[in-house]
Amino acid sequence: MAHVEVVVFWLGFLLYAGGLTFFVEFLFSRRELQDRLGLACVVAGWTLETVTLGLRWAQAGHFPVVGAYESLTTLSWAVVTVYLVLAWRTGVKALGLYVTAAVLLFLTIAGARYSPPLGLTTALRSDIVVIHVAVMFTALAAFLVAGGAALIYLVEDFELKRRHIRPVLGRLPALRTLDQLVGHAVLFGLPFLSMGIAAGVIRAAVYGGPHWWRDAVVLLAVAAWVIYAGAACGRLASGWSGRRSAWLAVAGLVCLLAIRLVAVPYLSGFHSWGR
Amino acid sequence: MHLVVVGISHKTAPLELRERLALPGDEAARLGCALHDGATVAEAVVLSTCNRTEVYLLTGDTGAAERLAVGRLAQRGGVDAAALEAAVYGARDAAAIAHLFRVAASLDSLVVGEAQILAQLKDAYQAACDEGCTSAVFNRLFRHAVEVGKRVRTETAIGERPVSVSSVAVDLARQVLGKLDRRVVLVLGAGGTSELTVKHLRARGAGTVVVAGRTLATAAALAGRCDGRAVCFDELDAQLAAADIVISSTAAPGYVIDRARLAGIMGGRRRRPMFLIDIAVPRDLDPDIGRIAGCYLYDIDDLQGVVAANRHEREREVAQAERIVDEEVGRMNDWLAGLEVVPAIAQLRGAVEGIREAELERLGGKLAELSPAQRDQVEQLTTAIVNKILHLPTVRLKELAAERDAYVYVEALRRLFDLDGAAAVPAGEPGESAQPPSRRAGQAQSKATLRPSPSPGASGQ
Repeated sequence: MAHVEVVVFWLGFLLYAGGLTFFVEFLFSRRELQDRLGLACVVAGWTLETVTLGLRWAQAGHFPVVGAYESLTTLSWAVVTVYLVLAWRTGVKALGLYVTAAVLLFLTIAGARYSPPLGLTTALRSDIVVIHVAVMFTALAAFLVAGGAALIYLVEDFELKRRHIRPVLGRLPALRTLDQLVGHAVLFGLPFLSMGIAAGVIRAAVYGGPHWWRDAVVLLAVAAWVIYAGAACGRLASGWSGRRSAWLAVAGLVCLLAIRLVAVPYLSGFHSWGR
Repeated sequence: MHLVVVGISHKTAPLELRERLALPGDEAARLGCALHDGATVAEAVVLSTCNRTEVYLLTGDTGAAERLAVGRLAQRGGVDAAALEAAVYGARDAAAIAHLFRVAASLDSLVVGEAQILAQLKDAYQAACDEGCTSAVFNRLFRHAVEVGKRVRTETAIGERPVSVSSVAVDLARQVLGKLDRRVVLVLGAGGTSELTVKHLRARGAGTVVVAGRTLATAAALAGRCDGRAVCFDELDAQLAAADIVISSTAAPGYVIDRARLAGIMGGRRRRPMFLIDIAVPRDLDPDIGRIAGCYLYDIDDLQGVVAANRHEREREVAQAERIVDEEVGRMNDWLAGLEVVPAIAQLRGAVEGIREAELERLGGKLAELSPAQRDQVEQLTTAIVNKILHLPTVRLKELAAERDAYVYVEALRRLFDLDGAAAVPAGEPGESAQPPSRRAGQAQSKATLRPSPSPGASGQ
């Protein structure tokens, strides 16, 4: 069973890598076919990763979020799900390149830190933890998309402002579309982040000891929340958009990535199960 | 039978001559009919656009057909046939097919990759078809040409990037603003390029058009043509606050809008982006405007730079398109080769003989009971039946081979006896509507079969 899971995991990884190759080719070759092939690869890879997670769930007996392998695989799955919904609903192109690159990074770390299923510690045996993890992953997926769109926005804006009109620009979504995407993704992710932090705080207050709030993960999560809340308020109240909005989305994403890639494995007192 | 093309294009003839030979409306089809009505030409299609007038003919006598076509063209345009000869190019058989496919793929166009030619070619063929000037070969050939044009457009990026200043401007506007639906366009001054750009923007869904002029009267003329509203320069600030796209081409000696003025206006727009194009020389818009957040300013040099780069990109796609054309010419040639009479007769014989042998084989067990003499008799009997059945069709086909539309019978024969195998002629393939020959008698010609020569026999060019 475990062998099958590993094989399916890496097959899914290869399909995402194929998708990335096609998306890069699309950017420079200007053939629609490449974009469609890339999307097809991502859909196939996503299907295999779904199977991987299903096998893992069946084997472990709990939702697969314990340890780096499980949590990063689940996170990648959530990110690709959000991307596929966006690609299907809006037809926005070029985001696939960024999403596949980010997901391949996550999956590389996940694959390198593969471990057999770990048992649930007492601290994790709680409905509130399940809610915390589920909403946090949803928020993270939305903010990853927002951050990606913001990065593309900043590059494209820079090029257009410099009047560097290169063919590759024609392959990127319109500035306005990207700006709206950033705004929508942030507004979508913020309530989930708020709920996730609230659930985490409740759990930590019970289990985390008197100094739980000094933990790096908690501090970074609150910093990210302040940035996203600021961006959302600015957008709704004063019409913040364009570069300011994009920079905020990137800054928030940096905080969130620091949580996942630095704080959780190296700095945090809790969130460190299985690392 | 041979394929022939003669004509003039932007590559061989000056505008004046092309104007004289241009055949508007259904005149092209009428010329095709006139050529077709004689004894020389079996099928005819005439293509006439502002850049080319070309006559495609299927004939047994290439020289006569070419002379006939040039003569008719000269007569139609009121020019001396000898003078026209100098500007006329021609190609035969495989070279003619290649020429047609290159035209369809827009490789021979003035602006390589332009999309119009394919529609014009379709119309020219349809008109000729409606007039009854085409049959099996041209039905197949022109439908194939249209498919080649489509294939080149989908498999290469030859027509993808705009190569005119106005369409580049529209593409850039879309890059910044996304969909142009309901966007407000403000035009300052009334240059020709700005009018063209407004028309392009309108075609892509842009909403209100406002034309601002020094006086209401100067603005009103352009506003009328663009279905827009004319305003005076006094109202400029209010109009700028509402505009998404600004196109400027006034004759003013200095800047019409400077950075400070627009920065003030942008402050009140909640950072709604503004796309500005300055087509005027000297410039109307302060170049520093481009540094205001949310303002995207391009001048005529920027746009022309993109046009040049896009032209270069298109040319790079040409090699790929030429490969597709070569491949398709090969396929068309193979099909044409199948329309020769002699191989068709041989194939028919082979097919029927095959049936006879297969049936004898099937009866193998029962025939074994016969004596050798009896088996010989059966053999002779069946062979005689086959020969009798095939005798008349063979003789008739050989007689018909001398006629100009022999290939129509060959095509029918191939279909009736499935000589290409069922898969070779699937339903719905071009050429299905091969019409029965309308005229046959008394048109004996020297060349009996349609023989696409592998070596292009271009005359002139």
